[in-house]
Amino acid sequence: MEASFMTRARAAPKAENEFSAFERFFREHYPAVVRIAFGVVGEAQAAQDVAQDVFISALRRFPDPGQSEHAAAWVRAAAAHAGLNAIRGERRRDRRQQLSGVEVAPAGPEEAALDRESAAEVRRALARLPRRSAAVLVLRHSGLSYAEVAEAMNIKVGHVGTMLRRAESALRKELSDDSRQ
Amino acid sequence: MTHVSSPVLRRLQDEPQAVPDAARRHLAACARCQASNSKIAQNAALAARLLAPPAAAPDDTSLAWARLQASHRASHRASQPAGRAARRATIRVPRPRPRIAGMSLGTGTIAVAGVLVAGTGAAVALTTVYAPTHVAPVRISQDDFRAIATIASIGGTRVTDGLPPAGHQQLPFGELSWSAAGKASPVSSVAQARALTGLPLAAPSTRPAGVGAPRAVVVQPKVTVTIRFSATAGSAVAGSTLVITGGPGALVQYGGTAAGRAQVTTMVIAEMQRPVATSTGSATAAQLEAFLLAQGHLPASLAQEIRLLGTAALPVPVPAGIAEQHVSVGGSAAVLLADPSGAAAGVIWEGGDGVVHGVGGLLNREDVLNVARQLG
Repeated sequence: MEASFMTRARAAPKAENEFSAFERFFREHYPAVVRIAFGVVGEAQAAQDVAQDVFISALRRFPDPGQSEHAAAWVRAAAAHAGLNAIRGERRRDRRQQLSGVEVAPAGPEEAALDRESAAEVRRALARLPRRSAAVLVLRHSGLSYAEVAEAMNIKVGHVGTMLRRAESALRKELSDDSRQ
Repeated sequence: MTHVSSPVLRRLQDEPQAVPDAARRHLAACARCQASNSKIAQNAALAARLLAPPAAAPDDTSLAWARLQASHRASHRASQPAGRAARRATIRVPRPRPRIAGMSLGTGTIAVAGVLVAGTGAAVALTTVYAPTHVAPVRISQDDFRAIATIASIGGTRVTDGLPPAGHQQLPFGELSWSAAGKASPVSSVAQARALTGLPLAAPSTRPAGVGAPRAVVVQPKVTVTIRFSATAGSAVAGSTLVITGGPGALVQYGGTAAGRAQVTTMVIAEMQRPVATSTGSATAAQLEAFLLAQGHLPASLAQEIRLLGTAALPVPVPAGIAEQHVSVGGSAAVLLADPSGAAAGVIWEGGDGVVHGVGGLLNREDVLNVARQLG
């Protein structure tokens, strides 16, 4: 019986015949996609929703992702962009709330200081960055290597450092501008 | 050499091996480049601190896969011609809001996880999901044990003896079938078990006194159990299908250190992917739950106790005479069980990654908890 199980386990493609090609792809890449989305939206349920949207789109685009060299890079980049879309939508809603007077009064200086690097502030700053800068920033800080970021963004590896440095500098500036407002 | 470019300085923070030695030598001797490098490093550190996902980033792949399937089916149906679409007009994919109405019988194999179901109102053709997020103790009496033993027998084959790789059993209200990539089997090492199951299978850095090296490792492949409700189940649930997956799992047995006790199991460490259940068909979650509870396999008091656990709980049976204690392991809720004599203890918890962990053996509470907290 042991031999039977071990033989099946080693014959991976046969043993996994219950898994569709897309399910294998999903299981391999979902953790990275949700991690990237989490880095952008900063909230578990929202990150899972973003990841769902990404894979639904991927299912249409790459029904057999094993046949595509770009599917993995595509879902990672899509996670960053979909996450940015989500927080930009929130930013627009925040603006509308402010215009309609729904927004509560800003906190006092002490509270503001304590909250300076709060998650919400980071999301706002991220939403104001140029889209590609924000995407590179998020992809890199989700744990992707320079080569993986380059593949996801369809840029040269040597460009990653340039974009990353500019994006990080811009993020700091946005955060300091935000705290002065 | 000219000054080191800012992209190279930035890469130095993350991938120093990718930066030429000449650049590093220049940096060591150039105050201007050091100043630039310091600024870049500060910005990089700030971004890393603000953007890095937390260690417990959501990563429930099985549950997410179930959601994706449901979304895909729903969007597929929505694209059907108007006549068919009209009959399925209320399809909505619910958020997974687990609700348990059964129990798991963990013995290395996956057993019947009962039924769970997410309250969803009147939606049809929904996928419902049970995916417990924490463990909770349930007191089990002698009568309860007998009832569980009855449930755990399928067609004369005791579940607790290990399911055959595949099989089916006719039930009064439908068909029960199950499949796995094989029976529980020994493997040669923890590393092999890790490779086969994808489980972390961490080992404690410090073992309790008297506990030796691993002496045996057993792997249980993933098991899928399916219940198809036939017309005899009544109009409410007929045609529905409940699919429960569990595992894979692995059990590491440790020997003793005393002479002649190397082959005596003194401690076991077990890990298993938590059970996840989905249902498809026309029955609502509430209807499935009510139907299965009405079958009377579980004593009413036990069913009620399990129901009262609320959502998202994985019941841990606590036999009469065994002391239980709520503890925390790695920030997760855990149940510590101990024999009053102090001869044996065990602790079970579910980590944030959806893996159910257990540590037990001929140990006292402190030793069991110490091992668990090294793993958690």
